[in-house]
Amino acid sequence: MTNVLDAVRETQVLVLAAILLAGAAAKLADRSPRGQGPAVLLPIAWRRPATLGHGAAEAVVASALIGVGGAAGDAARVAAAVLFAGGVVALVVLRRTAPEAGCGCFGGLSTTPVDWRSIARSGLLAVSALAAVGVPATAAGAAMRMSAGHGAVLAVEALVIGALSPELVESARRALRREPCAVREVPLRRTLARLRASDVWRINTAAVEGMEPVDVWRQGCWRFLLFPGRRSGRAVDVVFGVPLEGRRPAVRAVIADRETGTVLSALGGPADGGTRTVGRARGGRAAQEAEGATGEPSAATGSAAAEEGDGTTAADSQVPG
Amino acid sequence: MPVDVRARRRYTAAVLGEYAAPEPTGVPEADPVVRGVVTDVSRHVLGVATSRGEERFLFEAATTFWRGGEVGVSDLRVGDDVLVRCRAGRWVAERIWAGIARVTGVIAGSSGEELEVDTGHTGGRRAVVVPYRVSGRIGVRHPVPEPGYLFDAIGVWEDGAFHASVPATTQPPFAVWDAAPPKAPAAVGGRVRGTVSWYDPAVGDPAQGDLRGAAYPALDRESDCGPECDRVRACRPLPLLSLGTTVGVRNECADRSAVLPLVDCAAVSSRFCDRCADCGGGEEGRIAQLTLASFLALGGRPETGCFAATLAVG
Repeated sequence: MTNVLDAVRETQVLVLAAILLAGAAAKLADRSPRGQGPAVLLPIAWRRPATLGHGAAEAVVASALIGVGGAAGDAARVAAAVLFAGGVVALVVLRRTAPEAGCGCFGGLSTTPVDWRSIARSGLLAVSALAAVGVPATAAGAAMRMSAGHGAVLAVEALVIGALSPELVESARRALRREPCAVREVPLRRTLARLRASDVWRINTAAVEGMEPVDVWRQGCWRFLLFPGRRSGRAVDVVFGVPLEGRRPAVRAVIADRETGTVLSALGGPADGGTRTVGRARGGRAAQEAEGATGEPSAATGSAAAEEGDGTTAADSQVPG
Repeated sequence: MPVDVRARRRYTAAVLGEYAAPEPTGVPEADPVVRGVVTDVSRHVLGVATSRGEERFLFEAATTFWRGGEVGVSDLRVGDDVLVRCRAGRWVAERIWAGIARVTGVIAGSSGEELEVDTGHTGGRRAVVVPYRVSGRIGVRHPVPEPGYLFDAIGVWEDGAFHASVPATTQPPFAVWDAAPPKAPAAVGGRVRGTVSWYDPAVGDPAQGDLRGAAYPALDRESDCGPECDRVRACRPLPLLSLGTTVGVRNECADRSAVLPLVDCAAVSSRFCDRCADCGGGEEGRIAQLTLASFLALGGRPETGCFAATLAVG
């Protein structure tokens, strides 16, 4: 019986250290201007410092739980109990004052309005911190001497804490439901990497002057990049349309005379079989005329074929918005 | 190489098809609106210097005048910036707005009757006078006129300062940083319903008074919104777009529509999750800020500040 109790108490040190470390990391990483948890009860200028201070305190206590034994280790456990007990009080106040606010226990992940689960979890962890006072092992020591008994206690406690954690549901929701591409912020460098990995880019590299686009714009799930270029001695604009979603994006391109704006060729897009009449009329006929006039090999046909080989008739399936 | 944002629409159409980037269209204006400066005013005729030269408009018994509220012809002054809604082929003035202006943004400071309003990273800060006589009316829709709270009012220019006259919509009783961020939308469609408001591009550049187009609350940070971009996630599922692209705007109240180019950033509008009460109300949240000329052309009443609309993209 004594051995079971010892295993339970030693496991608490491990659980407390893990939860405090995760909470500290989430709070220090949170950049929300509104703040999370009880910090929203403070004036706006104090919220960020309060969140950072809370996260730093949790990190210090977690570090002490992991590596410090003896009286200092017991002090860390008492400090953890104070943190969690203070959390219970703060969450009760928060629930009454700002019922729509999340507990902020794990930063931006804790956005579910405070309910009895968050409060019970803090209370449970405060009790577990007090139960760990006097245990000689540190969290690191307990992890190294993990027995089957420790594992069983850990599993049961993980289940209980998991059931009291709305953050798990939120994490699953975020992982399963991606933000639609039309509203997703996408860094330009990622779009450039997508473009430069495409067949359409490789085929048109010779026509492009410079590696950086002179204009970039966006329309929902597409980003467009304009490069200056030269084709048969004529100054042209080479415009690439890059889908922002999909593993093998169907990059499209048009080459247009810079002076007149006439589209000379359209690659991978509506001109080669799409349903857009303007694209087909402009790109198709213009491309044929341009190629006939210059006697150049059919770059448009080549690239379109390359795109089709890439499984890219997604012209019609990936539309903005 | 200078960037020509007008070329963007053409190239977008070439890549995706004309459906994705239609050409801007005009609005069949049954009642054209003329903007200019009053050169002469009498009991029956108004002289206005417009982009076509000096034009004269006749008053009739039903002609109405607005200058911070309903006024009479005697309140028009030479030198006033006026909007004239005419009929009978630019001969008869039906309604005249004198010196109309608007300030939309987040209150940055307050002192007595004066507010300082941050209109976003493109508009900067504007001084707003809320005269005592209208403070009650403004206060009903703006319960807390303190830093951090939203402000949107229509008023008039008086001696170079903006004097608020009427509130545009009802604003929440909490600061912008206490507003719960909207959840990411599950899906984004090509049509978004919401509220459309107006702004006056002539404030920064008088030559832009007749500009047709829209400022958009969800411009792409990497291209047009820029490093100073202060937009937040709007409460309507607005796709990210850029200047020069075109959107369809339909006034659900007046049954008029047009395709307009995006000409400016309306980052501050992304903070407004209000509802337009002008014609029964539509969805909460602003989807575009039209230039004053486009707002009027689509049948909007500038003194009410908004109309329920549908935005069509691609």
